[in-house]
Amino acid sequence: MSYFRKYLIVLKLSWQNGLVYRTSLLMWRLRQFLSTLMSLTVWQVMFSGNQTLFNYQQQEMISYIFLVSFLQSMILATIMHGLAADIYSGKISDILLKPINLFGYLATLDLADKFKNIIFTIIEAIILAFIFHPVIILPSLINFGVFIFTILIGVILYFLIQLLFGSIGFWSPETWAPRFLFMMFLEFTAGKLFPLDILPKMVQNIVLLTPFPYFSYFQIQVFLNRLTTQQLITYLATSIFWTILLTIVVGKIWKRGIKGYQAAGI
Amino acid sequence: MSEPIIQVKNLSKYFKVYQKKPGLLGSVESLWHREYQEVKAVDDISFDINQGEVVGFIGQNGAGKTTTLKMLSGLLYPTSGELSVLGFNPWDRKKEFQKQFSLVMGQKNQLWWDLPAMETFLLNQAIYEIPKNQFKKTLDKLVDLLDVKDVLHVQVRKLSLGQRMKCELIAALLHNPKVLFLDEPTIGLDVVMQKILRDFIKEYNKEFGATIILTSHYMGDVKELCERAIIIDHGHKIFDGKLQEIIDKYARNKILSFVFSKTIKKEDLEKFGTVKEFNQDGSLQTATILTPRLKAAKVAAAVLENLPVQDVNIEEPPIEAIIREVFKTGNR
Repeated sequence: MSYFRKYLIVLKLSWQNGLVYRTSLLMWRLRQFLSTLMSLTVWQVMFSGNQTLFNYQQQEMISYIFLVSFLQSMILATIMHGLAADIYSGKISDILLKPINLFGYLATLDLADKFKNIIFTIIEAIILAFIFHPVIILPSLINFGVFIFTILIGVILYFLIQLLFGSIGFWSPETWAPRFLFMMFLEFTAGKLFPLDILPKMVQNIVLLTPFPYFSYFQIQVFLNRLTTQQLITYLATSIFWTILLTIVVGKIWKRGIKGYQAAGI
Repeated sequence: MSEPIIQVKNLSKYFKVYQKKPGLLGSVESLWHREYQEVKAVDDISFDINQGEVVGFIGQNGAGKTTTLKMLSGLLYPTSGELSVLGFNPWDRKKEFQKQFSLVMGQKNQLWWDLPAMETFLLNQAIYEIPKNQFKKTLDKLVDLLDVKDVLHVQVRKLSLGQRMKCELIAALLHNPKVLFLDEPTIGLDVVMQKILRDFIKEYNKEFGATIILTSHYMGDVKELCERAIIIDHGHKIFDGKLQEIIDKYARNKILSFVFSKTIKKEDLEKFGTVKEFNQDGSLQTATILTPRLKAAKVAAAVLENLPVQDVNIEEPPIEAIIREVFKTGNR
């Protein structure tokens, strides 16, 4: 039990830390809220007079937007954006010196951030529900189970990608350029602005081979029951393939990185 | 004698550092062509340290002191050589090893910046799996010794440097480490605070029989705390032994300082030794002269006899000056 206690305390401290700067927290949430509000408004307008658009019914699309804001707050936590800087500046030395697993520690911080986001997203969703009166389409129990599983994969996949970006800090302080490219791509292909299946089939097929759609698009398709069994299996396999591949790559890179780690600034 | 608690054999750490040519043009060139140079931060160092010893690492900036400490803590992977601390290879970062040592860095902090120090203490309690009773006992004791009861619940960023340093020490000592690496623990602190920390470190060593390695720019720290010193220069060990040995070996002179009751001539004093200072401050005449160590007592007696001396003091030269001498002389 005492083994998990340390992570529990890290979780609590991380929350306390996150609540210190109230204004900053509120601004951050306001930004997320407005972004969802905007998407909902745009689609509402586009649907006016139409029953279906791009093969989506209005209710489906509204459900989609609600789900995407929920999923992204859960999968795309931002806490690890500073990891590379922490490595380069030697800040992680503190954790490396202590009897606590570094990855476990980072995963806990990530988890704490996700929980915090989820709580705020739920509050925001309630406000938005009052404005838009959505009818959320609920999945069957089996679909819901698969949905939870795919979220888990998304969370792990994103965590691995964050570790990959973080590892740049072993060699260089600059992670802004690759991260920016990644975020740009993410914005378009994770399904935040629009569902991917409104894109041409060819583009869809290519994008579905990358890890990006597995950060929310895929999960929502499962939730809304819009996939054929064959599609479901293919996408599941693709996301699991990426998870395994990245686990191996991240493991190798970190092993090398830690060996060359300079524990700067001490 | 028991097995040394820290064993270091032919330890080396080389870094590759890329050399940029000066100016913007050099920066542009470095985009496609970089020259690397190997820097030998630590080069073939060996030493053993026994349990309960307090050892001072002395060296100029960049001599390799901190690099050695980082290797002993398992942060850096040595280029070559062997080392063992408490029977562990530090690089393995075994939990059992990490629970028994601590590294305190004067310029770095482990305390959570936006939260009170107490929160970090509780986190360390969990991380080091310290039983509740032991935690409370140790904490009370440390808080009492360092007199920080009032600041435990204040945000760390609002503390003064001295208060923060004390809390850093507490955070590092809560698990009663058997081995303690202190890197510049008194840096930036005023003399009062330096004294408090020194006394505390001494006390900790005595009470827990802890083995301590300390690096410091303030020779006062080393002089007061360490019986043994290891001097490192450009990655090499150039001296390892009792601090007193260094003084005996390298301090050739003693300093005699006098206060005279009447004004005297400088020439009269020069007969006895090299006059370093000669000041007339109102009616007070003061002077210091350097004499070879072995003759110091005789010279002092002679001055006392021949000149109107009101007060006399015989001192060793400041340890800084002695160490400068060591670096100038180079290898032993």
